[in-house]
Amino acid sequence: MPLAINNATKVLPVLLFGGKEYIALMHLHKEIDEQLLRNTFNKFIGKITQLPPVRSHVKRQYRQREIYYSDILEINGRDVLFKVGVESGTYIRKLIHDMGEELEVGAHMSELRRTKVSTLSERDSLVTLQDLDDAVYFYKEENDGRLLDRCLGSIESAIDFLPKIFVSDTAVDPICHGSPLAVPGAVKLTEFEKDETVAIMTLKGEIIALGKAVLSADEIKTAKKGVAIKTDSVIMNVGTYPPYKKIK
Amino acid sequence: MKLPLENLKQEVFSIRDETTDSSYGRAPKDRSIEERINYGFILLDKPAGIRSKTAAYIAKKIMAVFAVKKIGYSGTLEN
Repeated sequence: MPLAINNATKVLPVLLFGGKEYIALMHLHKEIDEQLLRNTFNKFIGKITQLPPVRSHVKRQYRQREIYYSDILEINGRDVLFKVGVESGTYIRKLIHDMGEELEVGAHMSELRRTKVSTLSERDSLVTLQDLDDAVYFYKEENDGRLLDRCLGSIESAIDFLPKIFVSDTAVDPICHGSPLAVPGAVKLTEFEKDETVAIMTLKGEIIALGKAVLSADEIKTAKKGVAIKTDSVIMNVGTYPPYKKIK
Repeated sequence: MKLPLENLKQEVFSIRDETTDSSYGRAPKDRSIEERINYGFILLDKPAGIRSKTAAYIAKKIMAVFAVKKIGYSGTLEN
């Protein structure tokens, strides 16, 4: 489960872009042929439609979601352990139920663990509450920050998948105040289309804000003036970089 | 097996050469512990049986010595 601290909380909404990976345990209500089971799993890859469960936080209407991959890890009698990569907003409990219906024997989910959110994965350093408590203790009581350092990931690594635009030092402070980024402030950029969410970065690689592209990357490369990116949420504190006038 | 945005390689195009003044700001890898907390993420291994909200609350209590004001989390296991 990704936890974001202070300024980093502002990027949480964009983590939803990336999809999720789960490991789930399916319990079949009757034993069935393994080949039939595998075929059914393959049928549920790609675009599927599902109705959110009765108890859910969203409106109950059919919606389309994409299953990127699905892979059976182990079959033990009626229990099927599998790994599945899905679009954000896919209900795994429902997916299992629907596969059970398709198999005509019925099935339910008996366990679920999320292994990836967007580009953050379980393989990166997972921290338990106990680890965190120990790390804070070592830092505060013995001035040893090594453990704490290992617990903390940077906001920049969490949003690594977003397109980026790098700006002049002089452009940083106005953006911290919520101003849009004008074309002359842009120094380097990756590919993006108009209306995409873009991370606005300093030349040192720090995130300043998230914004929406008013122009595409190609248009910014050739334009001389005008608004390039509209600032949506500011992450960097005001005053990290000096005000515009003080830089010569 | 990869999710759509995983290990995405993005090429950076330079419009012009420009340097940055090292007297302000700080590259993410050079941040102090306090700065790393302020712009930080923790991938929590949530214990089974407690709510995400409770886990986030406990984490916030642990981090309270750093005057952490906000801790947010992404996603619940409702799905």
